[in-house]
Amino acid sequence: MEIKDKIKDVLAGSLKVKPEELKEGLSLEGGIGVDSTEMVEAVIALEKAFQVKLAQKEVTKFSTLNDIEKVISSKVNKS
Amino acid sequence: MDKIAVTGIGVVAPSGIGKRQFWANIKAGRSFIKEITRFDSSLYPSHIAGQVDDLEKYSHVTERLLKKIDAFSHMALVASEFALQDAGIDIKKEDPNLVGIFLGNAIGGWLYAETELRDLYIEGREGVSPYMASAWFPAAPQGQVSIYYGIKGFSKTVVADRAGSLMAIGYGRKVLDKDKLNMILAGGMEAPVTPYALLCCNTYGTLSQNNSQPQAAYRPFDRGRSGCVIGEGAGVVVMEPIERAKKRNASICAYISGYGATCDGVDRIHPAKDGHELARAIKMALDDAGINPQEIDYISLDGLAVDIWDDSEIAALQEVFGRRLKDIPLSCPKSMFGNLLGASGAMDLVITILAMEHKLLPPTINLEDAAIKGLNYVTGESRHREVNKALIISRGRGGINSALVIEKS
Repeated sequence: MEIKDKIKDVLAGSLKVKPEELKEGLSLEGGIGVDSTEMVEAVIALEKAFQVKLAQKEVTKFSTLNDIEKVISSKVNKS
Repeated sequence: MDKIAVTGIGVVAPSGIGKRQFWANIKAGRSFIKEITRFDSSLYPSHIAGQVDDLEKYSHVTERLLKKIDAFSHMALVASEFALQDAGIDIKKEDPNLVGIFLGNAIGGWLYAETELRDLYIEGREGVSPYMASAWFPAAPQGQVSIYYGIKGFSKTVVADRAGSLMAIGYGRKVLDKDKLNMILAGGMEAPVTPYALLCCNTYGTLSQNNSQPQAAYRPFDRGRSGCVIGEGAGVVVMEPIERAKKRNASICAYISGYGATCDGVDRIHPAKDGHELARAIKMALDDAGINPQEIDYISLDGLAVDIWDDSEIAALQEVFGRRLKDIPLSCPKSMFGNLLGASGAMDLVITILAMEHKLLPPTINLEDAAIKGLNYVTGESRHREVNKALIISRGRGGINSALVIEKS
């Protein structure tokens, strides 16, 4: 599974939304109205799924799927 | 103070979800007390309760929101939606600054809290859901209802043990009377059927341990009483000024016309034996309503099924109503579905309004041999009777007394 698809699945599972609701090009806040508390849980879910550590500012509610993919890919490739 | 109209009712209870199902079971005198099935409670001294098992079937709440909230908020959201539908109110058309929420409860959202605390000790702080911060505390349902409907007016959560919701309703009426709001969602919710909350209720020492006969366990005012049985649920009503309700051609269920509250100030748990301060709260409610005791034709009892509580409640009624008390029908219908603690007063309001509407008094089940004789208890089955003015009593630990007077529309 590609990293972006896995990110979609992890976010959809964590936020209890359908994967298709996570639109390309829209931030998590702009697309599905994620709030800051939901982001805390979503980031923890991403960290567990990809076995990486994400700093507070690396993935935020203003991030798009592409932004998140870039951050996670760089960390997965380093390890 | 002016009377306030109740124009909608929402109920989530072990006896039913939605007022039709709920009333059908209440008027039939059916018990919904059973052994707790949600978790293994077999080692608890009292392990029976009134459970709400199929809320999801009736719920409009998304999975996304459900994972963030405790059961007591979920029940409050469902009861609020029912109440708004019943009142025929489209909340989007209301001025959000002029809508308020007044809810009561006693213990907060322990199902969520204890699950996360367990994770804290097993997995460490990273194992705790970030929603914990906003899910467990007693005002969480008020917050969730306000977020769900975009309500922005003055609102309040009252925590006063079992009297919380009746006090919230009384408080809400005062606020409406001062023309601060157009309408209010008022009531209460409680979800004590969880491992830790049940433990707390057990240590409180007022629960019946008649686990072998769940349906016969809760017997308020009976000589064989052995304490109450807990239940869970939510009762919410829509309250609005009469002029506004009439202007929008709303169907008025009842009027709230009087409210009184006092404290015993004698003990951290038990009430005063003489019931004098409860009597004073009742007199305050009657004075507030501008009626005399002779006009009350039904009394909804608090009925904890503990000697000092039941006897002091009757002592208060004797002080207020004197010899006429023997003629007034008295009932404690929560014997059928459990004591909803902080939500019990709201549930009693809902039942009393339905009793007025259907001209049918709900029974106190299991009251077979009254501890104090010569009173007009409604026992066994419902009794046909028109009710025009009713008194509702709700009390809490430490001597909290509240009384509400309602009148037929």
